[in-house]
Amino acid sequence: ETILSRIRSFEYSQKNAVLVPVTALGVGGVLVYWLRCRHKIKTIEMGDGWWGSGERPLKGQEDESIRPFKIETSDKEIEDLHRRLEQARFAPPLEGAAFHYGFNSNYLQKVVAYWRNQFNWRKQVEVLNKYPHFLTTIEGIDIHFIHVKPSYVPHGRAVQPLLMVHGWPGSFYEFYKIIPLLTEPAGHGLNEGDVVFEVICPSIPGYGFSEAPHQKGFDTIATARIFHKLMNRLGFKKYYLQGGDWGSRITTDMAQMLPQSVKGLHLNLIFVSRQGLKRMISVMLGAYVPWLVGLTREDAQRMYPFIQKNIYELLRESGYLHIQATKPDTAGCGLNDSPVGLAAYILEKFSTWTDKSFLHRDDGGLESKYSLDELLTNVMIYWVTSSIVSSMRYYKENISKDPGLTANARIGVHVPTGIAAFPQEIVHTPHAWAKEIFRNIITYSYMPRGGHFAAFEEPKLLAQDIMEFVRKVEKL
Amino acid sequence: SSLAGIMLLEVFLVLGTVIIYFLLSRKREETLPFREGWWGKGQKPDAEEDTTIRPFKVETTEEELNDLFRRLDQARFTEPLENSCFHYGTNSVYLRKVVSYWRKQFSWKKQVEVLNKYPQFKTKIQGIDIHFVHVKPPHLPEGQSAKPLLMVHGWPGSFYEFYKIIPLLTDPASHGLGDEHIFEVICPSIPGYGFSEAPHKTGFNSVSAASVFYELMLRLGFNEFYAQGGDWGWLICTNLAQIAPNHVKGLHLNLASVTNMGFRHLLSILLGRYLPGLFGFQDEDVRQMFPFLKKVVYRTLLESGYAHIQATKPDTVGCGLNDSPVGLAAYILEKFSTWTDVEFHNLEDGGLERKFNLDDLLTNIMIYWVSGSIVSSMRFYKENLQNGIGTQKHERLTVQVPTGIASFPNEVIHTPQAWAQKKYTNIVSFHFMPRGGHFAALEEPELLAQDILQFVGKVEKEQLWRKK
Repeated sequence: ETILSRIRSFEYSQKNAVLVPVTALGVGGVLVYWLRCRHKIKTIEMGDGWWGSGERPLKGQEDESIRPFKIETSDKEIEDLHRRLEQARFAPPLEGAAFHYGFNSNYLQKVVAYWRNQFNWRKQVEVLNKYPHFLTTIEGIDIHFIHVKPSYVPHGRAVQPLLMVHGWPGSFYEFYKIIPLLTEPAGHGLNEGDVVFEVICPSIPGYGFSEAPHQKGFDTIATARIFHKLMNRLGFKKYYLQGGDWGSRITTDMAQMLPQSVKGLHLNLIFVSRQGLKRMISVMLGAYVPWLVGLTREDAQRMYPFIQKNIYELLRESGYLHIQATKPDTAGCGLNDSPVGLAAYILEKFSTWTDKSFLHRDDGGLESKYSLDELLTNVMIYWVTSSIVSSMRYYKENISKDPGLTANARIGVHVPTGIAAFPQEIVHTPHAWAKEIFRNIITYSYMPRGGHFAAFEEPKLLAQDIMEFVRKVEKL
Repeated sequence: SSLAGIMLLEVFLVLGTVIIYFLLSRKREETLPFREGWWGKGQKPDAEEDTTIRPFKVETTEEELNDLFRRLDQARFTEPLENSCFHYGTNSVYLRKVVSYWRKQFSWKKQVEVLNKYPQFKTKIQGIDIHFVHVKPPHLPEGQSAKPLLMVHGWPGSFYEFYKIIPLLTDPASHGLGDEHIFEVICPSIPGYGFSEAPHKTGFNSVSAASVFYELMLRLGFNEFYAQGGDWGWLICTNLAQIAPNHVKGLHLNLASVTNMGFRHLLSILLGRYLPGLFGFQDEDVRQMFPFLKKVVYRTLLESGYAHIQATKPDTVGCGLNDSPVGLAAYILEKFSTWTDVEFHNLEDGGLERKFNLDDLLTNIMIYWVSGSIVSSMRFYKENLQNGIGTQKHERLTVQVPTGIASFPNEVIHTPQAWAQKKYTNIVSFHFMPRGGHFAALEEPELLAQDILQFVGKVEKEQLWRKK
């Protein structure tokens, strides 16, 4: 017996002794990891960003103060506006065109006359300032938001923080009518149980009073991250989210980014993929046997005829999206220089996206659902902040990366979700399709009336749906 | 015998299929009907239409200039994103320089004189005033007659695009080109563009424009003429050749798009890169079209936003541009940049002054501005495209008139001859030009003039022994 063979035999037995526990540990570890992975919800990367001008400062902490802010105006600003309104050049519409060629310039002249002679911007600024505004710097840019707390909270009631995000061509101002219904439901004829909110409405960077990013690449993920940071800075650890249009995309990203912070997600518009063989078959069958593919009668009514409603009408209405997703600086240039052009461009959406039949009306049906004061106040926010170009760039930054604008389907949305489906919304997504991405739908409501600008047009209906959703979530 | 029966049946089936295929695939050689219309305001009056041809001069006033200056002075710009060049559209830093030149150095009064150096006229056709330039040759050699040539512009161009090429065609000898063929040139403005009155009724499409221009040429006394065009001019002249093939001696195009795509085209897109010869593709075709996704699909999507919004909401998008000269300039200049060379969007100044001078670019923009015609110019897109591409009757009809195609390398759409000849069944000349983009007449007038001349030369030789 040589020393070598002794060592070998020793090693061999030792090897056995070592190998078995090691293998067991290895297998066990893999098993535990796999089990954990299955139950651990995947999230999207938070990432980081810097959107200020020039280089990111290496030293120093970012100023995290929250500064009160008031919207202001001046004689100079108003006179400049009036001058431009007075010198506006209009091209006469084609005979019998109504709103089929876009905003009818005969009706536009009436709007401009009102704007010049009756609309009172100073008064509207006071209206805007009735809720507290703030600015705070995040990732190098100033973020504007309003923060409205209930003036009176009954003893023992919990106040739910609710972040509401607007879209294009809207603004934080769209929420002005719904905010009191959410902060003081009892005082407005709503008595939805225990739910009372404090509402935070930020402006998306590049919109209104939020500073526009100076760097390329500012997308909904960056926005979602910034809004999480905002809520965090305000001291909230868990909160509700609500959104439509871009707000829907942003809040959905927020829910996929930090699900543990999101108590519930309420949406009045959702994007789901319309591609894929399975989807196509479902669409074709759905016309005849909707129940077979999970569509309700209401779904069928809103979605069919499919090609007409989902392809022709979408193509007809998406010219703005196409040009803004490719040449925003060109599209926005004239609109930043001509308030009349800006009004025509924005108000066309408030007409067609509120009710598709408004296309046939000479006045675009605008004043049947909104007042000129509130429509023009929204337009003025884009005008006085010169933010139309930066608002359009958002389309390019997002659509070039993800033309479908659908939520990340691999990850899915697991936070409790509430969906309010308004009948005149641009595109209808049935529950059966939404389920594929939103895995935890608590409420799905067919709203009786209303279009794209739900909070603006039907604040009470939307508020009721939000409250019902939140009540159900709180009970879980 | 049953076997023979089956074989006979098979033969019949094959024959039947082949016959049906031919019947269906053979494009009918019918003509496009002339489109009557009345585009004036309100009801058509009972009285006879005034058919006089009245001389016209472009004019300006101090008021017009002061209004423009005021708007330029009060222009509001938005800073571009860092390092974005022309990727997001017209770069506003460069735009500021253009506006500064426009305000301080550009002389509209001087440019009006330039515009007025060629005789211009107006005449009422189908209820609207049609503006046109009519330039006769300064001298004609003994025994030679001038050949009438109709040249039609597009969007966002105008009759002014032809000002550099006109002398090369009316007086080729003085410009180093052979004087075998001398032209008298007629450049109308499409109704709704520049100084032509805009239609007041819906439905004015390319066939309507072709019909109006056909009436114009007849009214001017021309029974036979040549037609040349690019952009919308391509379509209008094509329609004209389809409406009146016996009057159009020859059709010359610097853009030849084919909108009626079928299975054959799909196959050639899939396999053309590997088997170019099989599909009739030349090296230049392969170079320009492949990889197809990147060079054609993505590029078209990237550049067609304007067409999409103009084909659906022209009154909305044009509104601000009719009120802000700076916005109008940004919108139009972007096309003169990208459609001249797609690589120009990587330049901070969009490469505009490499091929054009600011005076020419601004004169073209001023034509849209002083006539307030940007909205009506955009409506033409809706009238032609609102039902989709490839849906109109004339897109299925062929063209039998002798055709010459000048294919410029930087043109927005590249159509191989193999595809063009399915529609233009009588292509007499097809040349790849050495350089140049979409605005050929303004950018490369000599090249275009030379191609027109050699084309006409060929047609004239053929016409002599192929009189119909």
